[in-house]
Amino acid sequence: MNERTSNRIFDTVNVILITIFVLICLAPFFHILAISLSSNRAVMSGDVTLLPIELDWNAYRSVLSDMSMIHSLGFTVFLTLLTTVLCMIMTIAAAYPLTHTKLKGRKVFMFIIVVTMFFSGGIIPEYILVKNLHLLNTVWALVLPGLISPFYLIILISFFNGIPKSLVEAAEIDGSSQLGTLVRIILPLSLPVIATLSLFYAVGRWNGFQDTLLYITKTELYPLQLKLYQLVQNNMISDLTQNEGPSAMAATPESLKAASVVFATVPILLVYPWLQRYFVSGVMLGAVKG
Amino acid sequence: MEAALYSRSAGEEIGIMRGTVYLRRYWQLYALLVLPLAYFVLFKYGPMWGVQIAFKDFNFFQGIAGSEWIGLDAFREVFHSHDFFKTLRNTLMLNILDLIVSFPAPLILAIMLFEVKFQWFKRLSQTILYIPHFISWVIIGGIVYQVFGTQSGMINNFIVSLGFEPIPFLTDKNHWLFTYLATGVWQSAGWGTILYLAALTGINRDLFEAAEVDGAGRFKRIWHITLPGLKTTIATLLIINLGNMIAIGFDRPFVIGNKMVMDYSDVLSTYVYRTGLESGQYTLATVVGLFQAVVGLVFVLGANFASKKLTDEGIL
Amino acid sequence: MAPKMTKAASLSLAAVLASMSLLSACSSNSNSDAGNAGSGGGSASAGTASSPAASGKQVTLKVELFDRGNSPSPYTITNSYLTKYIQDNFGTPNNIKMEFVPVPRSEEIKKLNVLMASGSDVPDIVFTYDSATFNRYAQQGGLTDLTDLLNEHGSNLKAFLGEDTLAYGNFEGKQLAIPGKRSILGKYASFIRTDWLDALGMKVPTTTQELYDTLKAFKEKDPGKTGGKVIPYGMTIEPAQYDPLIWSFIQPTTDEQRFTLTQKLGSNEYPTLLPGFKDALQFFNKLYNEGLISKDFGLDKDKKQMTQDVQNGVVGFLTEDYPNLYYAEGTYENLLKTVPTAKLDPVDVLTNSEGKHAKPEYAPNGMYIMIPKSSERAAEAVKYLDWMAQTENMLALQNGVEGENYEMKDGIPIVKTDAPQDVIDRIYNYGDIVILANGKFTGDEEKNKQAFAAGFPPAYQENLRKALDISVADTFKPVLIDRPIEAESKYGTALQDKYEEMIVKAATAKPANFESAYESALKDYMQSGGQAIQDERTKVYQETK
Repeated sequence: MNERTSNRIFDTVNVILITIFVLICLAPFFHILAISLSSNRAVMSGDVTLLPIELDWNAYRSVLSDMSMIHSLGFTVFLTLLTTVLCMIMTIAAAYPLTHTKLKGRKVFMFIIVVTMFFSGGIIPEYILVKNLHLLNTVWALVLPGLISPFYLIILISFFNGIPKSLVEAAEIDGSSQLGTLVRIILPLSLPVIATLSLFYAVGRWNGFQDTLLYITKTELYPLQLKLYQLVQNNMISDLTQNEGPSAMAATPESLKAASVVFATVPILLVYPWLQRYFVSGVMLGAVKG
Repeated sequence: MEAALYSRSAGEEIGIMRGTVYLRRYWQLYALLVLPLAYFVLFKYGPMWGVQIAFKDFNFFQGIAGSEWIGLDAFREVFHSHDFFKTLRNTLMLNILDLIVSFPAPLILAIMLFEVKFQWFKRLSQTILYIPHFISWVIIGGIVYQVFGTQSGMINNFIVSLGFEPIPFLTDKNHWLFTYLATGVWQSAGWGTILYLAALTGINRDLFEAAEVDGAGRFKRIWHITLPGLKTTIATLLIINLGNMIAIGFDRPFVIGNKMVMDYSDVLSTYVYRTGLESGQYTLATVVGLFQAVVGLVFVLGANFASKKLTDEGIL
Repeated sequence: MAPKMTKAASLSLAAVLASMSLLSACSSNSNSDAGNAGSGGGSASAGTASSPAASGKQVTLKVELFDRGNSPSPYTITNSYLTKYIQDNFGTPNNIKMEFVPVPRSEEIKKLNVLMASGSDVPDIVFTYDSATFNRYAQQGGLTDLTDLLNEHGSNLKAFLGEDTLAYGNFEGKQLAIPGKRSILGKYASFIRTDWLDALGMKVPTTTQELYDTLKAFKEKDPGKTGGKVIPYGMTIEPAQYDPLIWSFIQPTTDEQRFTLTQKLGSNEYPTLLPGFKDALQFFNKLYNEGLISKDFGLDKDKKQMTQDVQNGVVGFLTEDYPNLYYAEGTYENLLKTVPTAKLDPVDVLTNSEGKHAKPEYAPNGMYIMIPKSSERAAEAVKYLDWMAQTENMLALQNGVEGENYEMKDGIPIVKTDAPQDVIDRIYNYGDIVILANGKFTGDEEKNKQAFAAGFPPAYQENLRKALDISVADTFKPVLIDRPIEAESKYGTALQDKYEEMIVKAATAKPANFESAYESALKDYMQSGGQAIQDERTKVYQETK
């Protein structure tokens, strides 16, 4: 068996394995899609698997005609953009200095940061802080407390460290300031990781709702995931019918829940394909290195 | 900024003091750090006085400061609780299994994707693989039930139709471990590849071409070029993972778990939820949180130290 | 790929722009709310609100409101027909600005705790169903004593609730909560596929033993022709399914036993230590091992699987909250779509050792409505509740507009189910707005029942009525203790889990291992707080005797 055949076998097996995994990952999404397009009866009887039964568009009609959903989508897009941009600026600002081993106090700074990965004050003091800063019921309550993730910061530092020191030194010899080096050398070479972390921040913000449960009571500032959470979770409290008995509201139809899930998930799913363009810039890095 | 500029020109006049040279070189770096550090101090250390709840009999209306000190009573109660040790053991067990199974999964998947030649297939599958990350655990729970249930789960329907006995994926605690791990891999592997794929773009293409010229096989190439290119990323993630050995998310064990496998599925987060937060006992929840934080910090520093010694990679 | 992406990008941009304009639209809307006052609703009389704007200065009354994320467009949770109605008919005439503070339904306790701990910004009226939370707040001294305020401003309120219900808000001699009131106290009924019985030529079983024989026959003869999928007895790990079975095994008890050996976890009583509990689990175990109950019942935390099984026509018998099957587009309706000849009728089967169909009923109270000590609007809060308690106001809040939402027939409001959607939507969350009432109130108990039944699809009303009557037959009331059992507040939630774990483990053990499975689960239960509760209850019993 020569090199070429073994390569071909490797490629084939590889593609087949990936395809299987892809299908497994796709199935639940199709399941949700199918539920969103099926009749209530079919869903409640558990008949629906991957294809809609008794095709029914009503769920989408009611999601799309619900102005508060559309409004919430707009707000969530705005919130996510704002968060991502600010988080990235702050994370880069923190990461770059901390890659300089000669920087005095670096170890202390790092320790201060790592401690926050494990210790936190708990929700009550955090709530009191946000309240005292007068951030309750503002978009800032959802942005500021999570500006820098220590975890992502450490990842960024390790990527910055991977950039050859010779490039930085060369720039310094050319008289570039530290900021100049960051903007002209480091950032262009780090596009893949910056894209990745932006995605992480964006997805984290898009999917996060725990903080909105506490900090937001104005309905105009409800992000999509909070609405979704209420739809999906609120009817699932174990003692709900026990306590509320006949006064419990009629449950939200499963198809409406599923349609809302689709509505709230598809926009963020589109971000990654768009960001993928930044994942090929390794070519450039290779060129610079060469 | 302006103040800093002045100090620089003043420094130039004085001349050769080492501190000034140092500052001239690095003042911009300190300037960059000002806001991030302010953030950490205000938003992360600001609320940290709340940790004292662990040593107090917390009263909602007296507030944290006004509540009565109880010393280590709450710690004693937790460490004497039978459930605490059971859930601690389960947390460690599930995390170690995850480290063995779920930690390498995205790495392997990323390398597999990297080896794919057709760009469109690569991009498409990447995009699909990360979908499960976006499905909330409540929904995953329902799906897991439909797929793995003993009575009417899809897999068992198939097994029974072949004439075999159904497999208790969810109701027998040992089988349940498999279900727990499989769900975790399925949910997070695709998402985890993103970071590795970003790291892989940093590998010098010339190396691959050279390897091809040398006639190195695929596995050899992966072993000698791809993996070393990911070394830093792997080390970083591994260290952080080890730091989180006794921390565990709430949703996954809670949603996948059930009353029949409580012997394994009951973990620290569900314990705290049940005995602490649900019953308004913030003291207890804080005690467990503090314990987890101390152990986590020790673990991460230890892992960092070991990693520096062994591979020269580290996060500090 | 690229052009598609730009399209997506421009779409999302459009969404942002749209939302911006919406944002401004919304805020201007809410500003004009106050100006709208007086235009909407307005059919009911204003009650106590007879001296408009007497004191001159407008005050704000903040009221908690459950948000379930189900507000129909164009309403929002804080701006709906009902919130406007309250502002116009109670708020404006009394110079009070009503502010509703939405609290996510599933996170209410967490949010309430944080609000309370933060000291200010707490709504003037808060509530919870969780008696442990009420006890905790009461014990820690965070609630206003309402005794005097009730005497001063709450005559309607007191008349509506009555002494019985008010007693549930009493904490060590102080009125620290105003309990909501339940209109119907029934909990559970049993249901059986009578068409299967007919097919087998069997009678409706009347005792547990007969039920067992019937289940056996369902299993062996499969009258529903389910192809072996038959589940004779639909079971879950929810109280509505396991409670009726277990309680029916509890033997007649003395008052002392009832007091000291019952454990109240959360809002439910559990018979963990009462004589007969072990027999119940033994029977459970038998049913499970003979394949007579749902195999995966231990996984069915939300009745989803069982509901599906019932709808697919494979379940022969079940117990359930009495109204649950008969809602429009509900379980029974879906069953009829799958099996048009199916008949799932309410029956009273499970018997105790005395031959009675003993089953628990609800305590007469609903949620605990509390006014935090930090509130400066306690008087206004009581006035608001008093306004709500007046018959005509409650009628309007629960039923909407006469002639549009409902018709009065023999003094009972009959909901017009064929009303246009936007009319129905007006009162979409009346249950959450009318915090004083759990269920509709229209006068006496019989009228309440009729009004409740009238809300169901006509074809099922007869069955529903039967189920309702079963649910209140042979019932026993929960024990009322005039002081909190601290151990119950502390361990309640944890023990609920342990209790269900015990059922599952004992039921699914091999018959030979039942004894050891039961013993070890009970031991775990007792260690996790069960013992502490028993000790405290015994102590309290001796003190109060």
